[in-house]
Amino acid sequence: MTRSFAVVTDSTADLPDEWRTRYGIEVVPLKVLFGKETFRDGVDMTNEQFFSRLATATSLPTTSAPSPGEFAEVYGRLARDHDACVSIHIGGQLSATAEAARVGAASVDGFRVEVIDSQTVSMPVAFLARVAAECDTLDAAVAAVRERVPRTRVLALLDTLRYLEMGGRLSRAQAMIGTMLDLKPLLLVADAEIKPVDRVRTRSRAIPRMLEFFRGDQPVETLAVMHAQARDEAEEIASQLRKELPDMEIPIGQIGCVLGTHTGPRALGLVYLKK
Amino acid sequence: MVATTKAIGVDGPLFKRALLGSLSWLASNHEEVNRLNVFPVPDGDTGTNMLLTLQSAVEDVKESNAAEVSKIAKLASHGSLMGARGNSGVILSQIFRGFARAVEGRSSLTPAELAAAFEEAANAAYRAVNKPTEGTILTVAREAGRAAATAAAAPDATVPRVIAAAAAGARSAVQKTPSQLQILRDAGVVDAGGFGLQLILEGMLKSVEESDPAFTAIETKKPVVPAAQIALDLPEGGWGYCTEFLIEGNNLDTELIRGQIEALGNSVLVVGEPELVKVHVHTDDPTRVINLANGYGKLLKLNVGDMSTQHRRILETEGGQPVASRPNGVGIVAVVAGRGLVDIFRGLGIDAIIEGGQTMNPSTQDMLNAIESLPYDEVILLPNNGNVVPAAKQVVGLTKKKVHLVETHSVPQGVSAVVAFRPDRSGDDNVRAMKAEADRVQTIEVTHAVRDTRSNGVRVKKGDVIGLINEKLEFAGTDYAEVVKQALGRLGPDSYELVTVYRGEQASDAEMATLESEIRSQYPGLEVEVQQGGQQHYPFILSVE
Repeated sequence: MTRSFAVVTDSTADLPDEWRTRYGIEVVPLKVLFGKETFRDGVDMTNEQFFSRLATATSLPTTSAPSPGEFAEVYGRLARDHDACVSIHIGGQLSATAEAARVGAASVDGFRVEVIDSQTVSMPVAFLARVAAECDTLDAAVAAVRERVPRTRVLALLDTLRYLEMGGRLSRAQAMIGTMLDLKPLLLVADAEIKPVDRVRTRSRAIPRMLEFFRGDQPVETLAVMHAQARDEAEEIASQLRKELPDMEIPIGQIGCVLGTHTGPRALGLVYLKK
Repeated sequence: MVATTKAIGVDGPLFKRALLGSLSWLASNHEEVNRLNVFPVPDGDTGTNMLLTLQSAVEDVKESNAAEVSKIAKLASHGSLMGARGNSGVILSQIFRGFARAVEGRSSLTPAELAAAFEEAANAAYRAVNKPTEGTILTVAREAGRAAATAAAAPDATVPRVIAAAAAGARSAVQKTPSQLQILRDAGVVDAGGFGLQLILEGMLKSVEESDPAFTAIETKKPVVPAAQIALDLPEGGWGYCTEFLIEGNNLDTELIRGQIEALGNSVLVVGEPELVKVHVHTDDPTRVINLANGYGKLLKLNVGDMSTQHRRILETEGGQPVASRPNGVGIVAVVAGRGLVDIFRGLGIDAIIEGGQTMNPSTQDMLNAIESLPYDEVILLPNNGNVVPAAKQVVGLTKKKVHLVETHSVPQGVSAVVAFRPDRSGDDNVRAMKAEADRVQTIEVTHAVRDTRSNGVRVKKGDVIGLINEKLEFAGTDYAEVVKQALGRLGPDSYELVTVYRGEQASDAEMATLESEIRSQYPGLEVEVQQGGQQHYPFILSVE
């Protein structure tokens, strides 16, 4: 690797394992807490283990950001082989992770850390990390990432709002669902906000709505289909989109433990960077 | 009675008296109209709806001393339109409207002009209905008009004779309605709305007859339905006031109270229990009646006028005063009954809810008030019940606001429509999407038959559990779960993924649990969601989508 600066992100970026090695990206895990048991996202617990435990859990898990000390430890280790670092994280409106990274970075003397609040979550963060990893200089990487932050989009179709509501990230009213009915919300994460796009009663009606919204939001620079234990539907959506966008690489990603705590199982997402 | 006030023409005072007469007669008999319940679901409220509509028609008339028939007719037309409830009520309002147009500018009507106005009233009613059905109030109105025209053509035609002919024409048309409509034949009844119109004409006749005692050739037949009737003796001094109220007390003696009330009026109805007694009387001196009743206990006044306001309960959304905050500037108003359902609709973003539904149809005025109360100039109206749709249609032209009617016939259709609403989309786009979603959902309603009947080829006994798919009776049985399973089987469960059960007030925990587990075991491919609807009359309403 010729690059002199390190690239760091966190586990909510849903970075594919293969990208981690190919692009040399460091992933700091957030944590999932089932009662008093703490698991590092993707380290102590795989996605499969998480969702099967979620299905049988009597109370919902909670999540927490990495501590500044944990970030400091990572940055300290990276300082040995790199002269600087860009650290790209889940949006500050959703998590304290970026803030912990800033505090952690300040405690590592003599090592330049550029912390970037991505304002988004899931694979768009991974896209940003990949963009950074492909740059030659830290300044170029920071500029390329910052320029893209406003163009990140997460279009999420939740099977239920229950998990997001329990996690305190969005109220029913904010999701246009101030009712007892179990509606399927279609949400858009953009401009550091979670916005309701639509609400639908059944899954089979919801997926076409998600695609319809996406079509109206094109053109896009990069695109991925995300899912939480709904691989078949994700594959179907991806193959549909590959027909419509034959020149685009459309990977399928899995929603990790921490993000999955808030989306719940069977969530689907289209994540992209607008052109 | 003064023999010299011979009725030659219909002027304002005479028409006013005629309207008051029809109100009294309908008030005394509307329960019978209710009992002509064609469909075995508990919506036998045609009589009540017509009465409330007529009351609203007469409300302003009562205060008017206009000499011209045109002015009285106009007040009646406006009032009936404002108070129109239910299908028959709406048609009645159109009859008044047609009549008012026909007599515009006239101070008095000759017998021939009166007959022509009756005919025009019927024509207007036909025009107002999308698909006119014979064997209904429309046919009765037309036949009444024809009979009136025939009578008016006679050389000795008088106003009472024309009205008498109209009433007789109505009566014979009512008798024929079962031969025109299969549904009436099966149920063994005549058409309720048509019978209501017959009563209105008979009531007019009675009052006009009274004003012309020389005229004696009229016989008013009793209604065709064999049922207990309140005898209506004509009072010496006129028609007086229809007075109704409840007495709340201890050890109330209905016999004793009835005896005393009877001394003060006629058409007396005193029924109830030792703790609560309902009183209905036509009297010239309501004050004396009320003073008398006051001695027995607490009076819950429910006079005729009060009844319509009783229904007007517009519930504002949470947070008090509505604020126009939607980007598209479009408000939504829905008619909903049942605590749980009100909460569900409110939670979906409805701006104003009008309580009502199956047996408590809100009036056009109720809906209009709700629409006017919103801070939006464009409003979407969801009636959520087939019986409310006609009155809802009237609202559209009555306000300066742009009103879109999305004709939802059931709770599931209403929910689907609201779910499709998006605050960032224009009114027209929303209406399109909402209609499409409402059409997509299937409705199963489960209730008990209120009478023996046959409908849609299904024979049912009073008390049977019946299942309706999209307002059509499809199944009868003895058990909720059985009827629901049959109905789901008919829809074809493979084409659907979600069943939402709105549990009614009458359904017990055990019945709910049984129904839920039976659906799950019989149709494992369907998701089942249970919601507390709290609606009356329907133990279960199911949405299938």
